[in-house]
Amino acid sequence: MDSSLLTNAEAVVSRARSGDTEALGELFRAFEVPVYNLARRICRTTEDAEDVLQETFFEVCKSIGRYREEGSLWGWIRTIAASKALMRLRRNKYRDTDELYDEVVGSRREDTALRMDLEAALERLSETSRAVVWLHDVEGYTHEEIANMMGKTPSFSKSQLSRAHARLRGWLGEEMTP
Amino acid sequence: MNHLNMDALLSLREPGVEPGDAAAREHLDGCPQCQGELHRLHQRVARFKALPTLSPARDRWPETRARFKADRQRRRARMVGFTGLATAATVAAFLVVGDISRPDPIEAEQLTQMMEQSQVLEGAINDYNPEGRVLDGRTARIAGELEDRIARLDRELEMAELQQQQATDQDLLRLWRERVGLLDALVDVHVTRASNAGL
Repeated sequence: MDSSLLTNAEAVVSRARSGDTEALGELFRAFEVPVYNLARRICRTTEDAEDVLQETFFEVCKSIGRYREEGSLWGWIRTIAASKALMRLRRNKYRDTDELYDEVVGSRREDTALRMDLEAALERLSETSRAVVWLHDVEGYTHEEIANMMGKTPSFSKSQLSRAHARLRGWLGEEMTP
Repeated sequence: MNHLNMDALLSLREPGVEPGDAAAREHLDGCPQCQGELHRLHQRVARFKALPTLSPARDRWPETRARFKADRQRRRARMVGFTGLATAATVAAFLVVGDISRPDPIEAEQLTQMMEQSQVLEGAINDYNPEGRVLDGRTARIAGELEDRIARLDRELEMAELQQQQATDQDLLRLWRERVGLLDALVDVHVTRASNAGL
C-alpha cells in the first residue's frame, strides 16, 4: 500500500501545502481506512482508534509542509499513525496482561471460524505485544524502528514478538515444541 | 535433540544473519518438526495479513478540519503579533539610526496599519465564532474559499518573512493589503448572513 491510494498525489500534496482544506480532505479520504485499520489493530477500542485517526490527520494537516517526498506518502502518514496509536496506549495505561476481553472480542467476531480464532487470539495479547506483532509482521517495521517508536530497545521488541508468537501458537490450537 | 525455540525461528525470518543462525539453519535442514514449526509461523503471519480491513464507523473529517482551522487561526494570530513587533522594531531602528538603506517610514507605517486592521478583523471573526455556528451551504462555501485564500496568503507571508532580505516592504504591504481585503470580505459574509437571518 502506498501513495497509489491517491491518483494525483503530487498535485494534492502541493495544494495541501498551500493550506487548501479541500486538498487536505482528499488526503483524509484517501488514507482514512488504512490509518483506522492500523489504529484499530493496535488499540483496544473503536473509540480509541477513531481518536487516533483524528490525531493522525490533525498532525498531517499541520505538518504536510514538512513532508519531503523522500519516502512514500503512505509511509509518512503510517509512521504518524503508528506513533499516535502507541502514544494512546501509553496514555490509557490499560492492564498490560494477556487477559481475554470477551466483550471486545465478541463485538468483532467475523463469519468464519478460522478468522474468528485469529482475531480472538490477537485480542488476547497484551496491548504492547499486539502492537509489536502488527507493526512487525503486517506493517513490516523492523525491530529498530519499533523500538524507536516505543522508546524501548530492539531486544524488547524481539522478546515481545517471540512471547506473542509462542502464545498465539498455543491459543490457535498448536502446542509449541518443548 | 533440542528443537528450535520461537526466538530462533523468528530470527531465521529476519533479514541479515544473527549469531546462532547458521547452527539453527543446520538443525532446520535435518529436522522435519522444526520445518513444520517455521511453516506454521509463516502461515500465521500470512493469515494476519489476510485479516479484513476495518473501517471507521463515522466520519471524523469534519471534526478534524474544524480543529485544524481553529489551530490555524491561533497560529495566524500569534504570527500577526510577532510580525507586528518585528515591524515596530524595524521602524524604531530606522527612526534611531536614520540609515538610508532602511525601509521607507511611510511604507512601514502603512504596513503597521494593515497589520493592526488585520488583527481587528480577525478579532471580529473570532468573536463571531463561525466554527461554532451552523452555516448554510452557500455561506459555508464562500467562507471556505475565502479562508483557503487567506491560508495561501499566509503561506506567502511566512515565506516573505523568512526571506526578509529579498522581500521588500512593498511586497509585504501588498500581501497585507490583500489579507485585509480578504478578511473584510469574510467578515461581510458572516455578518451579512447573520443580519439576514436575524441572528
